[in-house]
Amino acid sequence: MSKLIIKNLYKRYENKGKKKTDKNEFAVNNLSLECEDGEFIAILGPSGCGKTTTLRMIAGLEDITAGDIYIGDTRINDLHPKDRNIGLAFEDYALYPPLTVYDNIAFNLKAKGVPADEIKRRVHEIAPLLKVEDLLDKMPVSLSGGQKQRVNIARAIVRRPGILLLDEPLSHLDGKMRQALRTEIKRLHNEIKCTTVYVTHDQLEAMSLADRMAIMNLGVLQQFGTPMEVYDDPANEFVAGFIGEPPMNILKTTIIKHENDFYFTFENSELRILCPRRYYDLLKDGMQVKMGVRPTDIYVGGPDSKGTPVKVAVFEDLCAERRIGVRVGEELVMMITEDETRYRQGEQIKLEVNGEKTHLFDLETGNRIRPKK
Amino acid sequence: MAKIELLNITKRFGKFTALDNVNLEIKDNEFFVLFGPAGAGKTTLLNTVAGLVMPEEGLVKFNGEIMNKVDPSHRNVAMVFENYALYPNLTVYENIASPLRSPLYKKDDATIDKEVHRVAKILRIDHLVERLPSQLSNGQKQRVAIGRALVRNPNVFLMDEPIAHLDAKLRHHMRSELKEMQSSFNSTVIYVTHDFLEAVSLGDRIAIINEGKIVQVGTREEVYYTPCNEFVATLVGEPEINLVDGRLVVDNGKYYVEVMQKGYLMPLPENSGIIKKLVDSGITEYHLGFRPNNVKYTFQKQDGLLRGTVYSFESIGNKAVLIAKIGDQFLRMIAPNDLQVKLDQDVYVELPISKATFFNAQTTQFIGTSDEAAIYRLVQEQLSKGVQ
Amino acid sequence: MRRKRMINNAVKNGLLALYAIFALFPLFWMVLISFKSDAQMFNTTFIFDPTLENYEAVLLRTDYFKYFFDSVIVSVIAVLVSVLAGVPAAYALARYNFKKKEDLAFTILSFRFAPEILVVLPLFMIYQKIGLYDTYFGLIWVYQLITMPLLIWVIRGYFEDISVEIEHAAMVDGYTWWQVFLKRLLPLIKPGLVSASLLAFIFAWNNFTFPLMLSGTKVETITVASLKYIASDTVHYGQMAVAATVSALPAVIFALCIQKHLVRGLSFGAVKG
Repeated sequence: MSKLIIKNLYKRYENKGKKKTDKNEFAVNNLSLECEDGEFIAILGPSGCGKTTTLRMIAGLEDITAGDIYIGDTRINDLHPKDRNIGLAFEDYALYPPLTVYDNIAFNLKAKGVPADEIKRRVHEIAPLLKVEDLLDKMPVSLSGGQKQRVNIARAIVRRPGILLLDEPLSHLDGKMRQALRTEIKRLHNEIKCTTVYVTHDQLEAMSLADRMAIMNLGVLQQFGTPMEVYDDPANEFVAGFIGEPPMNILKTTIIKHENDFYFTFENSELRILCPRRYYDLLKDGMQVKMGVRPTDIYVGGPDSKGTPVKVAVFEDLCAERRIGVRVGEELVMMITEDETRYRQGEQIKLEVNGEKTHLFDLETGNRIRPKK
Repeated sequence: MAKIELLNITKRFGKFTALDNVNLEIKDNEFFVLFGPAGAGKTTLLNTVAGLVMPEEGLVKFNGEIMNKVDPSHRNVAMVFENYALYPNLTVYENIASPLRSPLYKKDDATIDKEVHRVAKILRIDHLVERLPSQLSNGQKQRVAIGRALVRNPNVFLMDEPIAHLDAKLRHHMRSELKEMQSSFNSTVIYVTHDFLEAVSLGDRIAIINEGKIVQVGTREEVYYTPCNEFVATLVGEPEINLVDGRLVVDNGKYYVEVMQKGYLMPLPENSGIIKKLVDSGITEYHLGFRPNNVKYTFQKQDGLLRGTVYSFESIGNKAVLIAKIGDQFLRMIAPNDLQVKLDQDVYVELPISKATFFNAQTTQFIGTSDEAAIYRLVQEQLSKGVQ
Repeated sequence: MRRKRMINNAVKNGLLALYAIFALFPLFWMVLISFKSDAQMFNTTFIFDPTLENYEAVLLRTDYFKYFFDSVIVSVIAVLVSVLAGVPAAYALARYNFKKKEDLAFTILSFRFAPEILVVLPLFMIYQKIGLYDTYFGLIWVYQLITMPLLIWVIRGYFEDISVEIEHAAMVDGYTWWQVFLKRLLPLIKPGLVSASLLAFIFAWNNFTFPLMLSGTKVETITVASLKYIASDTVHYGQMAVAATVSALPAVIFALCIQKHLVRGLSFGAVKG
């Protein structure tokens, strides 16, 4: 159990992108992170964002181009993977097929020369945590995917690592198994409180497991914060669009001024939304920005609503919730309602937007435009 | 447009029975979903309709006409495949035009051009028509595959997990878009999926299939509120339905079920028909199903509620799943995203007996629900809105 | 850094050049010999009086072109037969599941295992008995041992790489099976078909053992015919070199044409196969 500190980490692959002008020259670009002792950190991002490269650098499977990684007080850049005191579980289970589950879990301890009865004690201590105690005599081939991954994780934590590294451990599993094991991982962390770095492309996994999550894109860290911080207060358009299901609706908008009030207007759409007052200092007539609003912050207004009349483009009844989609210009804007009213496609509704919950992003950079406090 | 009937279809691959005496009637112009876990026989069934698979027994009828011996090209079906099955050496334009260039559906170049651009516009890929499939993203490929089906007027559209290959975000988006363009199909659609949300969002009716057998056919309300057995109940709905053991207790002429803990009695609602159904069933051991969004919880100590601990709390987008551990049983419930909660803290849970679904504990078959009136009302409302 | 890279490159190029000389020298030597007179054959190396005498002797004064065309006929038809029979066979092996499928596939490949000299003796007896000896048909028949396995194995890999759904899609689009095959599948296997056919052609063209034993007078391929220039009293190296040079031309030309596609064409399918 240790602190993990990553300072100004860079990674460049020599043979990739020979052109010097290539923007994505760095697989990881100036990444700095600090994980507290016992914290659960998720690194989240689309494929190719550098999350796995980062994990592999922490594990020592990949050379570090520049920057430092510390585990506890030790700089580990030049340490051999086996000396870094880490536990690692990959998405493919990589169990040793000829060994039983017990021997698979015990393998690393045996290699380190831990006495047999100590190994036995530790394996039997770990097995119930991952619910594999009944599988110890089985061979890997006879296990299901979920069981294999449990064994895989057991193997990673049995050596009591300072840092536990998990690389997409759930991505090979089907829906139900994935949810079940997600819960188990959460419980496990609560039990052993081992500093954990969890790499995933699935925002739900990251949101549900992590104490704090680091969102990366194109090698660059976009935001680092608790799941709710990231959800409620996204740093930029990328984060806003990446987190949440359905994702935040993000629309290009032109601001117009009408009788001392500002409105969001949209190309090829009647929709007009009153800008929240807190933005007024920043707005100019004719300014173009992007506006983001969560599907839960848009409502269908009642009969006396002052909302803009729009036509329902999509109505989805998902049993426990209902989703309504309307077209604003070319974009499909989704909202979620829990009430039981049903709508037909083409039916007219009045759209109300909770202006206070809207976010503004710069048209070019995608950076968040925040009102002055 | 066609009515499609499958009568006693059985298909074996060697010793494996992929379809076991399947009977289905799909109405003209209906959006019909085949829903089931992997390996249930969904794709085989779809291929049987297309004529790509020959059943050992049974009849396939289009509009009453037996189609068993008609080869796929003459059945006038359009198909969308899970892996898109685009012709890699042809442009998007030529891919979409392909059916119209076939000897069977041959059209002149002007018509082809018009049709291709029409569907490309519906699918929002009109700017991509000159590209090759390898230059497209997965979402775009899938639109092209749909375009190839949309370009003619088939008896039936067959869609085999068309969006299963897309990543989660795109899948949700495409599902909504598919729903939006449903009216453009203007024909019978059979849609295969293993995703519950796709099934309930898109299907006019849903057939649940498992191990080659049809388990239940019904509207989304029917399969969700009155699942015919526990298999259907757990398959439909996310997070999964909570199933708990229950026992019928009669005390002083009043009917209770004992659930979760010894002595925890919940009175059965008197005016719903459920008491009679339970008594008629002749057994006293049940499994009770509670949907996670109906289970209520509080962190304040309260008598009469089940006491448990928080086992897990997981955000699922715009809301969260709270899992409570009561004894050695778990209950899933829906909670707000921003709930402040610590693992293992006490939680008090109320099971909504008025919204319980009862299953026979031995056979796992559906007995009844305590909420029939409300469900009936829902179904009526759905009917009055017209089939969507 | 830069200097190091330059030295690296120089060493690399040097080694490659060395290999090129090593590989091409026999060819070069053969071409040289073909321009030498018998008199200068042994006492000169690079400096001699070039003469076309050998060419004249071989090309005009013997039946060289007959041998050449015999070779063309036998090899081309052998490859055509292999394509016609091999492509459907490859399709069947890729698409259908039948009993002993892999055994059959292995048997076809195993044709290439036995040394030709081993099978050619019994074949010689059989051919003489049934009248295939010294006929075009006989040679084309036996050449299938060389060309067919190659084609089937390459094309099978190609078919396996095409998802079956593409065929289904085309059938549903309104094409009959034959049209699907010709219009949709054939274009996709074309690179493999072309490279495998050309390679099969080169193998057939270069074959020596079969025509040596199974033909002789009426049908004579160029590889065997080259031996004629070893007379009982003397060896006409110059003429032999001409015969060899001209006979190597088709193979060299084809190899140059397809070299870019050859490796890719053969390995694309082989990834899965």
